[in-house]
Amino acid sequence: MKEEHFIIIGMGPSGTKAAITLRKQAPEARITILSKDAERAFTPHMLPDFIAGKILEKDLYPYDPSTWDDLDIHIRRCQRVTDVSPGNGHLLLDHREVLRFTGLILAVGGRPQIPEPYLPFQDLMSTLKTVKDAKQWIEKLEGVDSVLVIGGDLTSLAVAKALLHLGKKVFFLINEDAFWPLRYDMDLMRKVSERLSQGGVEVIPSGKLGGLFRNANGKTQVRIDDRTLQVGMVGTFFGLAPDIRFLARSGFSMDRGILVDEYLNTGFEGIYATGDCAQVYHPGLRDYWVSIGYENALNLGRIAALNLAGRRVQAKVSGESIFKVRGVNVNTSWWVEF
Amino acid sequence: MTRKADPIQSTRAEDFDYMKVNVPCQDACPVLTNVPAYIRAVYENDFTLSYNINLESNLFPGVLGRICSRPCESKCRHGEKELGKPVNICYLKRAAADFRDRQVPRETLIHHRISKNVAIVGAGPSGLAAAHDLALSGLSVSVLEAMEKPGGMLYYGIPAFRLPRAVLTEEIERVLDLGIDFRPGIRLGKDITLAGLLKDFDAVLLATGCYHPRRLNIPGEAFDGVFSGLQFMMDLNSGRPPRVGKKVLVLGAGFTAFDCARSALRLGAEDVSICLRRTEEDLAVTREEVLEAKREGVRIESLMVAKTILGNGNLKRVEFIRTRPGLPGTAGKREITTIKGSEFVLDADTVIAATGQGPEPIPILDERTPEGIVTVEKGSFRSPVAGLFAAGDYVTGPSTVIQAIAAGRKAAAAIVTEMTGRDCRERVVRIEDTVTTDRPRTWDFLPTLEIPTLEPMQDRFDINPKEVELGYAEEQAQTESKRCYLCYLHYEIDIKRCIYCRYCIDVAPRDCIKLVKRMTTNENGAVTGFEETSVWRDVNGIIIDNSRCIRCGACMKICPVDCISVSKVQLLERPIGRAEEA
Repeated sequence: MKEEHFIIIGMGPSGTKAAITLRKQAPEARITILSKDAERAFTPHMLPDFIAGKILEKDLYPYDPSTWDDLDIHIRRCQRVTDVSPGNGHLLLDHREVLRFTGLILAVGGRPQIPEPYLPFQDLMSTLKTVKDAKQWIEKLEGVDSVLVIGGDLTSLAVAKALLHLGKKVFFLINEDAFWPLRYDMDLMRKVSERLSQGGVEVIPSGKLGGLFRNANGKTQVRIDDRTLQVGMVGTFFGLAPDIRFLARSGFSMDRGILVDEYLNTGFEGIYATGDCAQVYHPGLRDYWVSIGYENALNLGRIAALNLAGRRVQAKVSGESIFKVRGVNVNTSWWVEF
Repeated sequence: MTRKADPIQSTRAEDFDYMKVNVPCQDACPVLTNVPAYIRAVYENDFTLSYNINLESNLFPGVLGRICSRPCESKCRHGEKELGKPVNICYLKRAAADFRDRQVPRETLIHHRISKNVAIVGAGPSGLAAAHDLALSGLSVSVLEAMEKPGGMLYYGIPAFRLPRAVLTEEIERVLDLGIDFRPGIRLGKDITLAGLLKDFDAVLLATGCYHPRRLNIPGEAFDGVFSGLQFMMDLNSGRPPRVGKKVLVLGAGFTAFDCARSALRLGAEDVSICLRRTEEDLAVTREEVLEAKREGVRIESLMVAKTILGNGNLKRVEFIRTRPGLPGTAGKREITTIKGSEFVLDADTVIAATGQGPEPIPILDERTPEGIVTVEKGSFRSPVAGLFAAGDYVTGPSTVIQAIAAGRKAAAAIVTEMTGRDCRERVVRIEDTVTTDRPRTWDFLPTLEIPTLEPMQDRFDINPKEVELGYAEEQAQTESKRCYLCYLHYEIDIKRCIYCRYCIDVAPRDCIKLVKRMTTNENGAVTGFEETSVWRDVNGIIIDNSRCIRCGACMKICPVDCISVSKVQLLERPIGRAEEA
């Protein structure tokens, strides 16, 4: 009998949850998690608290290293997948190793995206995705008294809160062209602006970012409309762009993420996508949505694993907590938590 | 592969078959441009030679270096799965055009003048390419063009920020300077009749292109504020810029859609979105095109199709319906289905429907399709009407510029054959001894060089359109040229001298050298396959699989008995009877 080998690409919250769920469903199966990073699995949503000094680094890691041995889940770090052949049931690693699978879960997550108009300034912009990024934030913040936050994703408000906690002056650029929901709601924007202002953030509404440069005293000067702002640091939070370019030749339907059905299936038998990289049509919205946020990631990871194991569980989301960011509907309720 | 010490010009079918498989970039080019040779010339700092190699095949290197659809790059061996990214072949073509000696030698006639005349209707890429070849073949050529300027879609369909008019004009003039009688402002069916042309000329070639916009066939299409992409670009390029509103929706996924979207921003639109039936991943335009459009502020929205244009004679909104892509079909394109009940509405001040176009019906003879389009025999370009030929987009529907040039050149060859009773050009495979590659293996790992673009961004929106892609500097072009494997090099093992030490297999960077039990050949004698074996007693030969070989030369360098040789194999075109000049 052919050995069951489930591979999960990605060791973020969704991928790890999928692996643990799979182990429960398939006690005898071989389970492998492939991660392109060297880092341990961590909780990305807690990074702002780590920056704020509210938690220690060890609190970022939800699993003890022995967890994986105990569950007989094989972790392979620093493994970059370069291609997946859904029909043949194998994938290729960049050192030319071929891995065969009987089931695959794509939980590749994303990397911080910077909208194309801002790419020329990216060297002056800090993003926050990994523990290493968070440590860099901590280091930079030591000599900084003010920060400009650009972008409206889940992390942006949590970081703004962390910065306020550290006593930093926080500017928040609200710019419908660049980072706010594409077809945004003025009422929602007003509410969010009010909430930010009440929290002590200086909101710069409807500003058009003209350029960034670093001046002689190491500060960053930001041109917004006719105004020039001088800040110690600029953080950008435009959400995560699913890291799926390596799948371009694999035959998956891809848009911003990997298009999946309501069961998170990619259209290929035994291959599911979950977390930040899965994009599914939502009848209530009449649009495709992606799910971001820790709880959503765990939920989708669990559903993908259950379905791979033979169940038929639908991924559901409540309509009220869905917003549109850069053309994609995202499932989260972040702003009310500020 | 036959080899001799002196260069030979082979016309053997097996050698053409070899070229097809082993120099994939050249084979992918509709006009069979000798890509490795012109890239090598860039490396050797001979941009003029590089330009001239291009000129022999594609006639408009400066133009194509900017707007070619780059079929060569998608076949470049450097882009194979484990080998990285394709060479930026098109940018190197442009570099050749940018840095060449401006004095291009005048082309000489292939044959003495022939007392036959040909009328070409349409001065687009296909018509101009045909005019070029016919003129060089000694025929008298008149080109009749409905518009004021020659160039067809090159002039009227492509914005100046992508293709500067000075570049276009220079290369078109080089063609027209071959003694071609260019007559602008003459429209077939209005100013002249086809019957009249057939009476006055020995042959007539219809190369009128596709200027009939494809309709959306949805309610509201005729409202004010709704343009066809073609009309939008033609108005703009004719000096009559269309008025656009603040919010523009462009329907379509091709270069025209992107040109319209980027032009709309330059005309003052504030919010421009390209609406796709499929996804960004399925776009046929280049990655650079998508990036630059986004950088300028164009949004790309996917998985939607327009259902109704709403308004009261004036455009107000567009109702869309969501789509769902299926798995790729046999042609690689995904089937699209609409999702029932997924309708939604977007506001819009301007809609540009850039969903393609077809040929315009020509009110003429009986020999045509019910739509009024003249039909031709595939390959001969000959219509059922004596002396009447047709080529280019008019026959095939919208294609790429390089395909249109190829069609024009082939049609010209067919006309020359009909006029003179013989062919005047032929393809040959030139095989010559050469030295092994001087490319160090490290060049295989050079990253691709992105092309510099116009900065700061606001300069792009200047009242006088400025070219966005700036092209490589000379040094950058030479660096990028180093990445080419030079697939026109052919490595071969002389198995009579081979001692089967297998050192070559050990040093090969990929599985390109194989121990084989037997080989198979096609009816032309070209090797089409082999049966590999790892059982020593079954080994009857050792071969270099040139379709896998990356021409690193490592095998040749390590061979202890010098049984591996290298030759340069090039597919060329030569005038018949002047073989010594090929």
